[in-house]
Order: sequence, then structure tokens, then C-alpha cells
Amino acid sequence: MRIFRRSVLGATLVAFVVLATACASGGDNNTKGAAGSSSGTKPSLTVGVSAAFPENQIVAEMYAQVLENAGYKVTTQEDIQSREVSDPALDSGKIDIKPEYLASELLFLDPNAKASGDPQNNADLLKPLLAQKGLDLLTPSAAQDQNAFVTTSDLASKDNLSTVSDLASVASGLTLGGPPECPKRPYCAIGLKKTYGVTFGDFKALSSGTLVAQALQSGDIDVGLLFSTDPTISADNFVLLQDDKGLQSAENITPVVRHDVDTSEVADLLNGVSATLTTDNITGLIAKVALQHQDPAAVAKLFLQDNGLL
Amino acid sequence: MGVLAKAFDFMTSAANYHGQGGIPTRLWEHVQMSLLSLGIATIIALPVGLLVGHRRRGGFFAITVGNLGRALPSFGILAIVFPLTLRYLHVGSLGFVATLITLILLAIPPIMLNTFVGTREVDRDTIEAARGMGLSGTQILMRVELPLAAPLIVAGLRTAATAVVATATLGALVSWGGLGRFIVDGLAQGDKGQLVAGAVLVASLAVVTEAMFALLQRAISPRTTGSPRRHIRKLIRRPGWGM
Repeated sequence: MRIFRRSVLGATLVAFVVLATACASGGDNNTKGAAGSSSGTKPSLTVGVSAAFPENQIVAEMYAQVLENAGYKVTTQEDIQSREVSDPALDSGKIDIKPEYLASELLFLDPNAKASGDPQNNADLLKPLLAQKGLDLLTPSAAQDQNAFVTTSDLASKDNLSTVSDLASVASGLTLGGPPECPKRPYCAIGLKKTYGVTFGDFKALSSGTLVAQALQSGDIDVGLLFSTDPTISADNFVLLQDDKGLQSAENITPVVRHDVDTSEVADLLNGVSATLTTDNITGLIAKVALQHQDPAAVAKLFLQDNGLL
Repeated sequence: MGVLAKAFDFMTSAANYHGQGGIPTRLWEHVQMSLLSLGIATIIALPVGLLVGHRRRGGFFAITVGNLGRALPSFGILAIVFPLTLRYLHVGSLGFVATLITLILLAIPPIMLNTFVGTREVDRDTIEAARGMGLSGTQILMRVELPLAAPLIVAGLRTAATAVVATATLGALVSWGGLGRFIVDGLAQGDKGQLVAGAVLVASLAVVTEAMFALLQRAISPRTTGSPRRHIRKLIRRPGWGM
């Protein structure tokens, strides 16, 4: 029996070491050395992203790379779950900069806010809410990414679906798939019911857009919530249902920065990135990452170089 | 209100005790999934462990496979298995098969390792004695090695069961139910009460599982304090042994 104990102890140790090594190398944080080592006085900055998806990652990489190029020491912290986790991370200074979506962040901070399809309106409403928490909203980019309800081309032709309104008569027999927070969100289940009178028969919580697309394809869900810039929509021949009653609001990608680190240089650098982004070019960049499996950092770098920002 | 108070409210609210999303349904789903995966893992791992231990060959293979298996991250397995099940094994509710396969793979290594080690470590003199009394290889395996290895096998089941109960929470990431639903939804919706209630429920279920296997382990452990040889003599003294 003593031999057994020793071998189990050994086995456990081996397993533990292997696991520990796996954990140590599997972390998401990567600190990058400052590119321009000329200035030692510039602060270290952390760019953080809610739920890692290619678009978020690419934009965060752009922010990180222009700052790094200007001599800041930049850390990226990707996939900080939903806003319930990433917003407190920003408030408490665990991260300094976050790419945000105007209306989603506005409605997150104030569920009763009058978000609309006008980016300026949303930015004006969001600014004071962020200011209360010591956060600055920089200039919104032209790039929009909205929540979109999509379905398969088969179902769309069978039930004659082209708008979200068309769902009203058939939804009770259909299953909706989306992120686990969907049932509690105004832009998702709550808004569907309030604005469109659409209530689905069932809801399946899927923790990423990739899973939503996979479940749509396999027929496990009939309608899925995806981002309008998701390249799988065209790749898988999904049909994007038109938001005919304007449930979704302007979601321009905009940097949010902690006021303490928001110098004019940092603001100029980040606004420079915003100025080059459009819905079309970001959709193209996402396709490179999501469909061609290119590295988000490399895709971001090439884009910044092409636009003279690096 | 503190997080624990919110969790207490969640667990005591009558609204959370009926329907598809209620605590009893989620708990039952969790228990069913855990039992099913543990059962299937046992059917696979027990014979392999017994055979390798009985032959006293292939031990290096068994230990290597067992340890590598233990190092595999369940979350990674789930992420790989889920799309595959959607394409090739499309049965049950969404995420069910993927979660089941992940948990089976998690439970196999401890059961197989403990069965193998328990069988191999049976005293050689005891086996010689059994052989001398005319027992065949199969009889030695079933009547001597298996009973003597039983406490260790149950210890392996205990390890596997606790890990399975804790890890079944991952199923919620791929739309399956179980108690993990409360943790994943609570985190996504910023509902800390739901999150903590889910965590407390899973931890409680794991503790209950652990306790039940501890009792089982005590029940089947030989009561003799002496050498296994005395135990075998006792076994053989029983009537109906064809002697």
C-alpha cells in the first residue's frame, strides 16, 4: 500500500505540474515592451475589452499599437466578460481604456435613457453618465456595429421573413439563441416584446457569436442575435432581419478612457484611430480574423500602417 | 444589500422553485448528468483498469494515459466537442451530448488509475494462495482482486464524482442546463445573487456527493486490520466456494 501511495502522490504531482504550466502559459495578458523607449515618464496603460470577439480585439489592438508607437507601455486585457465585469474594471482603474458601443453602454448605465439612431444624441447622453465615474468619452467613430436578429435562408423563405416585425406571427413556435444576458436586455428579449410584440417560444443561452452561428446552422435555434458586422452572416447565407421599428440604436465604436490618464496626446492618438474606422472597413478586418484566422494584432497593424497611423 | 443576502433571497424566493428555470429542475438536471457521465465512465474505465492491473502489464501506459487525461482542460474539450456534436451526434437538447462527453473524459482517468493501482497492489502471496487453491485467472480477478481493490476503486469514483459535479457547470456555456445556468446567467446579467446562489448550490451538491462516497468507501472497506491474507481466508471460508 505504501508503494501505491507514493505512486499516486507522484502521479498527482505530475498532473499538478502539467496543469500549472498550462495555466501559466495560457493567460490572456500580454505585456508589450514600449516601442519607443525615448520616454520613461509616460504611464503604463491597460486596454481592456469586454467579451472577446474579433471586432473588439482588433479595435483594442489598434488603440494599443498607436499608444505603444508613441512610447507608452501598453498591456491588453482581453475578454473581461460582460459590461457588468468590464465596467467596474474601468471604474477601479484595473483597465484604463475600453472600446465601447454608444447605445449599449448608455442603456447599460441608464436603462431608461432615450437612446436613438443618432450617434450624436447617444454620445451627448452618455458623456455625463461616464463623467460621474471619472471616465471620458472620446470622439465616436463612423463604424457602427448593431445587434441584429438573423435567421437561416431556409426559414426566411419558408416563413417569408425579412423584417423583425414579420416574426410576430411565428415567434411563439420558434427558438431564439443569444448571449445569456439577452432575456434581461432592452435591445434583446425585452425590446422584442415591447417594441415588436415578439415573444419566442424558447430561448437558448449561447456564450459567443460563433456558438450562435453554429446552433443556427444545425437548426437548434431558429433566430439568433449576432452583430451586424459578423462575417458569418454572409458566409453562412444567414438573412439579417431588418429592424423596421428602430429597436437598435446607434452603436458607433468609441473609446472610453479613464480621466486620470486622458491626456491630450492619448486622446489625439485614439481619436486618430476612430477617424479612420468605418462600418465597411471594420467588417472587412473582422472577416480576416474570423474567417481567415489571421492574428488580430497583425490585421490591426497592417490597417494602421495603410492609414499612416504607424 | 450584501451579495450573500441576495443569494439567500434567490434561494428562498418561491418563484425560483418551479418551471424550467427553477432550482429543483436545474438540480435534477445536474444530478442526472453527473450520474450518467459517471456511470458511462465507470463502464469504460473499470474493465480497462482491472485488466491492466490483473495482467500487471501495460502499467506505464495506464498511468500515462490517466495522467495526460487529468491534465486536459474540460473547457477546451467542451469547446472542441460542441460543434462536432452539432454536426455528427445531434441528439438530446442543445449542449447535452457535448457536456456529457466532456464529463465522461474527465471521470475516466481517476477511475481507471485507481482501479489499476488497486488491482496491481493486491498482495502477491494472496494471489498465489488463491491460485494454489485452484482458482482460475477470472476467478482470482473477480473474487480476490476486485474485492480487495474495491476501497481504492470507490476512492477513484469519489474523486471522479466530485470533479464531475463541479465541472458540469461548464455545460451552461453551451446552452445546456444544470446548476451552472445560475452561475453563467448570473455573471452575464450582473445578477450577483443568482451567481452566488448557483455557486453555493454546486458546492453543496459536491459536498453531499463527497460525503456519500465516503460512507460507501467505509462500508466496503474490509474490517480486518491485519494483512490481506487474513481477509482472503475469511472470503474463502464462506460456503458456496466450490471447495
